Amino acid sequence: MTSDQRKRALQLVARPPRGSKLAKAKKYGVDLTLLVENLALTPTERAKKLSSGAKALQELRRAGERHRSKK
Amino acid sequence: MKLQETLRALFDANVEFVLIGGAAMQMQGSAHLTEDLDFCYARSSKNLERLALALAPHHPRLRGAPENLPFRFDAATIKQGLNFTLMTDLGWIDFLGEVAGLGGYEEVKKNSEVMAIFEMDCLVLSLEGLIRAKKAAGRSRDLEVIPELEGLLDLRKRSQK
Repeated sequence: MTSDQRKRALQLVARPPRGSKLAKAKKYGVDLTLLVENLALTPTERAKKLSSGAKALQELRRAGERHRSKK
Repeated sequence: MKLQETLRALFDANVEFVLIGGAAMQMQGSAHLTEDLDFCYARSSKNLERLALALAPHHPRLRGAPENLPFRFDAATIKQGLNFTLMTDLGWIDFLGEVAGLGGYEEVKKNSEVMAIFEMDCLVLSLEGLIRAKKAAGRSRDLEVIPELEGLLDLRKRSQK
């Protein structure tokens, strides 16, 4: 994504065209700014983010399991 | 999940695969989080052997099955089955022979795009393919991501104009 495309994307998420899928997503509760940030990343950067997100999810899940097992 | 190691294992063994599911969503720009990896694999005899060989060092076992249930992830087993939900030393990995709404590997491949991930050219299911698959799967957890995927596709098209 070029800087011009990113600028245009940020304008679009701030004011999605009425009746568009983008507007529908915003209304549904999707944080559109996260999508712009993700689109600005390279595939490898997205893959690294995916790995670190999965690791964080796993750590949270294990912490929850430990907490429940103490009860 | 060990994404890089998993891709490297499949890539080095020349396995024909397409990254699908939640990981493909993230690779396409979604903010969806996932803990497992889903792949669609080709059902040719050669590919089944390659897949079994690639996974063997990572101790694949059936997820959710009793520990003492005998299971060998070899070409014969893969041929007899279709979709496998595995626990491996690389994390949770699902291998699907068919994807709802799309079909087998060749159809999934047609709906995918090449992405350079960790210097490996990998096939990743396209946003359009993901939307078709999620709509066809039709479970609540599939349907609830459709607004995001459709919004993402719309955003990508409009911002690239």
